[in-house]
Amino acid sequence: MRRARKIKIDHNSEFELDLAPLLAVMVKLVPVLLVSSAFIQVMVIESELPQVVSEAIQRQDEQKTPTNVAMEVDAKDGIRIIITEKGQQKVETVPLKDGAYDLRTLHMKLVEVKKAHPEVFKMELSPDGKVPYDTIVKIMDEARQARDSNTKFPVFDTKQGKNVETNYMFPEIIFANTMEG
Amino acid sequence: MSRRRRYEPKTKKNSTFGLNITSMTDMFTIMLVFLLQSYSTSDVQIIPENNLRLPTSASMTNATESIKLSLSGDALKIDQTKIADVKNADFLPQDLEDKDSNFIKPLFQELDKIAKSETEKDKAHVKEGRILLQADKDLPYATLRKVMYTASMAGFPQLKLVTMVGE
Repeated sequence: MRRARKIKIDHNSEFELDLAPLLAVMVKLVPVLLVSSAFIQVMVIESELPQVVSEAIQRQDEQKTPTNVAMEVDAKDGIRIIITEKGQQKVETVPLKDGAYDLRTLHMKLVEVKKAHPEVFKMELSPDGKVPYDTIVKIMDEARQARDSNTKFPVFDTKQGKNVETNYMFPEIIFANTMEG
Repeated sequence: MSRRRRYEPKTKKNSTFGLNITSMTDMFTIMLVFLLQSYSTSDVQIIPENNLRLPTSASMTNATESIKLSLSGDALKIDQTKIADVKNADFLPQDLEDKDSNFIKPLFQELDKIAKSETEKDKAHVKEGRILLQADKDLPYATLRKVMYTASMAGFPQLKLVTMVGE
């Protein structure tokens, strides 16, 4: 009987992959991406909020005597947090630390305020005329969201009928003294 | 006499040589990944102004179509058009209303023109009164307040502050 012919496979042979078409595609893609790349990422501060948070803000607006949280920024004295509840005012002060605003203490105090009043999402900000814009943005950053991802606040979701958690604190910040003379 | 033919080495007329492009492909792949990472997905292009340093913020909200105002240490502009001069971090007295020191006359006129213009007034951002404000981080709030006040008076109350990503 004739034996089947064995095909010899050379396991040590090498073949070269033709990378030229891949390179051609890349050469075309690189200039396209270069044109549409953003090397400086520019964002905006405003309130594009989750549905649950927006609904909670609406509910706060509908209240007859809502709890009001305001923040006054003074170049000399520091930051004052004013909480108005049922006509009564409570003031907490965050004094300057080494001539600069103590943002860490401010954040901790704002977390406490938010824990005590989880239904409040709006904050009125009244900075002094001398306060630099950069500082205002930093203070707004401290107030908008909890820094620690484990810190959550309850919000009532009307659709699910139960409390859900969010890390938003005071996302809607209004410059209260803009229209003052 | 037979002529002896000169010796010519055998050359393949149609031969090519193989260029090693593996390392070049590697380089392009790295570039492609880097560029894809910094690809802009925002539908609005914000061109940073000269002499203007934006503050940094943790905000990650993309900009939407709005009237673009820029306030640097030496000028207030709408898009690229200069509206008023800024000197020593304040507006010049001739640009401000005599009775109301927060009212910037040329800015109000320009915004009012946009709000009433036939081509612009039907656009969503003009109807809703949206403004994108690029302001220098060292400017005091008093200067910014004048812009905010005038914009509100002109029917543009929705202010969005442009910031840069990073600490």
